[in-house]
Amino acid sequence: MLGYILRRILSTIPVMAMVGLFVFSLLFVAPGDPAALIAGDQASPADIERIRESLGLNRPFLVQFGEWAWRTLHADLGTSIFTSLPVTQMIGQRVEPTLSLMALTLVFAIVVSVPMGVVAAWKVGTWVDRSIMTFAVFGFSVPVFVIGYMLAYVFALRLDWFPVQGYTPITDGLGPWISNLVLPALSLGCVYIALIARITRASMLEVLAQDYVRTAKAKGLGQRSVLFLHALKNAAVPIVTVIGIGIALLIGGAVVTESVFAIPGLGRLTVDAILRRDYPVIQGVVLLFSFIYVLVNLLIDILYTFLDPRIRY
Amino acid sequence: MDRRTFLKGVAGAGSMAAMSGSLAMPALAQGAAKTLRFVPQANLANFDPIWGTQYVVRNASVLVWDTLYGLDAAGTPQRQMVESEEVSADGLTWTFKLRPGLKFHDGEKVLAKDVVASLTRWSARDPMGIMIKGIQKELTAVDDSTFKWVLAKPFPKMKLALGKTNAPIAFIMPERIAQTDPFKQITEYVGSGPTKFLKDQWVPGAKAVFERFADYQPRSEAASWLAGGKKMLVDRIEWVVMPDPATAAAALQNGEVDWWEQPLSDLVPLLKQNKNLNVDIGDPLGNVGSFRMNHIQPPFNNPKVRQAVLMALSQEDYMRALVGDDESLWKPLPGFFTPGTPLYTEVGGEVLKGPRKLDAAKKLLAESGYKGEPVVCVVAQDQPITKAQGDVTVDLLKKLGMNVDFVATDWGSVGSRRALKTPPTQGGWSMFHTWHAGSDCTNPAAYPAIRANGDKAWFGWPESPEVEKEVVSWFEAANLEEEKAAIGRLNKAAIENVTYAPTGFFLSYTAWNKKVTGVTQGPIPTFWGVAKSA
Repeated sequence: MLGYILRRILSTIPVMAMVGLFVFSLLFVAPGDPAALIAGDQASPADIERIRESLGLNRPFLVQFGEWAWRTLHADLGTSIFTSLPVTQMIGQRVEPTLSLMALTLVFAIVVSVPMGVVAAWKVGTWVDRSIMTFAVFGFSVPVFVIGYMLAYVFALRLDWFPVQGYTPITDGLGPWISNLVLPALSLGCVYIALIARITRASMLEVLAQDYVRTAKAKGLGQRSVLFLHALKNAAVPIVTVIGIGIALLIGGAVVTESVFAIPGLGRLTVDAILRRDYPVIQGVVLLFSFIYVLVNLLIDILYTFLDPRIRY
Repeated sequence: MDRRTFLKGVAGAGSMAAMSGSLAMPALAQGAAKTLRFVPQANLANFDPIWGTQYVVRNASVLVWDTLYGLDAAGTPQRQMVESEEVSADGLTWTFKLRPGLKFHDGEKVLAKDVVASLTRWSARDPMGIMIKGIQKELTAVDDSTFKWVLAKPFPKMKLALGKTNAPIAFIMPERIAQTDPFKQITEYVGSGPTKFLKDQWVPGAKAVFERFADYQPRSEAASWLAGGKKMLVDRIEWVVMPDPATAAAALQNGEVDWWEQPLSDLVPLLKQNKNLNVDIGDPLGNVGSFRMNHIQPPFNNPKVRQAVLMALSQEDYMRALVGDDESLWKPLPGFFTPGTPLYTEVGGEVLKGPRKLDAAKKLLAESGYKGEPVVCVVAQDQPITKAQGDVTVDLLKKLGMNVDFVATDWGSVGSRRALKTPPTQGGWSMFHTWHAGSDCTNPAAYPAIRANGDKAWFGWPESPEVEKEVVSWFEAANLEEEKAAIGRLNKAAIENVTYAPTGFFLSYTAWNKKVTGVTQGPIPTFWGVAKSA
């Protein structure tokens, strides 16, 4: 097991290298010029060229890539073209809001969606099942920003329970931290709940048809024990897989949610960097996201062995 | 339902809540009355007013760095850091004396050597600065508080150059910072202005914080735009960046922010209904909408094709697309200079007046020999102003029977593509849309878009000796009458050359909580004299 984990961790290195090369190449061929944006609308072409030169953007691809890769290997993600701040510092400023948002969304989504899926499978074909599945379709179909606006209107403007926007660090108190994140987490969680609830239902339906479930019922076990102790554990592998895959969904959704609720997180940093062609920041953030994604998938793989003892690496 | 309707609905719902009295106190604990929360027009992504000339950088910079002269509401440069100036009889030597007691935020005195270094850096980037540098014989510090600028020929507009509001403004920095290459960004933000920039609290894309500078010595005169006494009545100003207009509208209504610099025009009617808010025109000098045609590539290298487009374009169509049905927000602009300013003129602008002459324009286009060459119209979709104008232009060109290749892209891509001189079919372009702040279009001093000096001109590279001759005439004019005459001739020549196509003059609103007082109109949001009650 330990050997497997080590091998998986080592395998992230070529994955990250490929991601780095891919992103760097993409940015190199993509249209757009940060020097023109820096110089402003009144700048002359000569001014723009001077700025491009000072930023080293007119050097050959291989020189730029080599320099970036060497720096990255030394844990230096470079300096933002626009702010002149180190990319690691900019990411550091933004990590907490995004991780907080994702963590709260994840907890909220799992707590709500798994029981929903189990109940839907248990009451398959009834109005309960149909209601849950209708909600799931709604969660999939309505864009995150629409849900965000609706929640902000009802719970911030009408009821005044939560603020409209912003983020308070957890070091300033748990109450304000939660208060700022409830509406964004609910908005972002809807699509995730829908996804997990549907998979849970499908997986549970398959398991509930198995002989051992019938046996459990026949020996007189209560409904709750059958559903949550016997069936759910055996249905968990696909659910956990979807939760892992859904991390990518969360990252994408965080971009929109952070804009709607003005949360200074990594999602907004990414969008701002892309619109400004701030290459070092884009590269840094994409590397971070890919690392998180690889790490989450590794954790999911490890989790399989606990959920299903037949799985061995 | 389109996005605008949706935004109006959401923000409108908030407005109704406020009117019905159901809007309780802000959910977030408000800071002290001494903290003003301001939503700027854009993200403050960098903070060097010489290196980057975006409006948002300029607007933040006036809080931190002071200027030798400041433009007042009449557009006249007034002494700011300068106590007195003296011009030699031949107009070749300017000697300036600094006000006593000026200090930088690090506690050091402002000295003449700091000014010399700052002006040296500024004059490498600013169009007027470059002109002065071209005739400069000497720029030196005479003593700690005196410096002189010796020129090879007179430059009557010296005070305007040192006090103008167009970016880059001639801000004064400590010598060690001002010695930075003008094409490289400074990393230390020390000025002598009314507030200090708190770098450690800066989160680019989210927040920038300014703190009142206790040692700042405001002038005794009343404040007027960038001139007069810049007295800070709040201790702290937080710029809160909000990319989403509906969120900014809700935050303003909820009292989470105090002042929103540029509300989306669609949301203004709803903000006006909120009894807790003031809404008014932010900058009376407004903006000039424009599209530029590529003068060196077919089909717009033919003046008749450019004139045909100008003959057919309806500024009303452009302005309604930009600001909606609010008639008070726009004016037709048969010329290139800002309405309501001393040099505004309509001389030669007849082609842009009256009913549009589509048939005559088609005839002129046919006479030009246009044979269906593609018109590559590059339109940034992420800027509401360029997107709206681009949609109208495509319709106009199609009505004229032109072969339009509409390239929907983002502002970053427009920025790089417009610099290409290659044919439109080989990665180049035929036209792009933009806009100019009205404060930049009051005269030719810092108005590169009006220049027609061919290869050295702004993107599109128009060439017109007549236009250039009148730009020189304006610089050399001895009085306002001569300036007006030069500008009249310049306007006429630029219309004939179709240096660019003006799509109209438009204004925008600003909105603030009634707890805030002292908000004034101007080309730059100024914070001196602004107070906030608890």
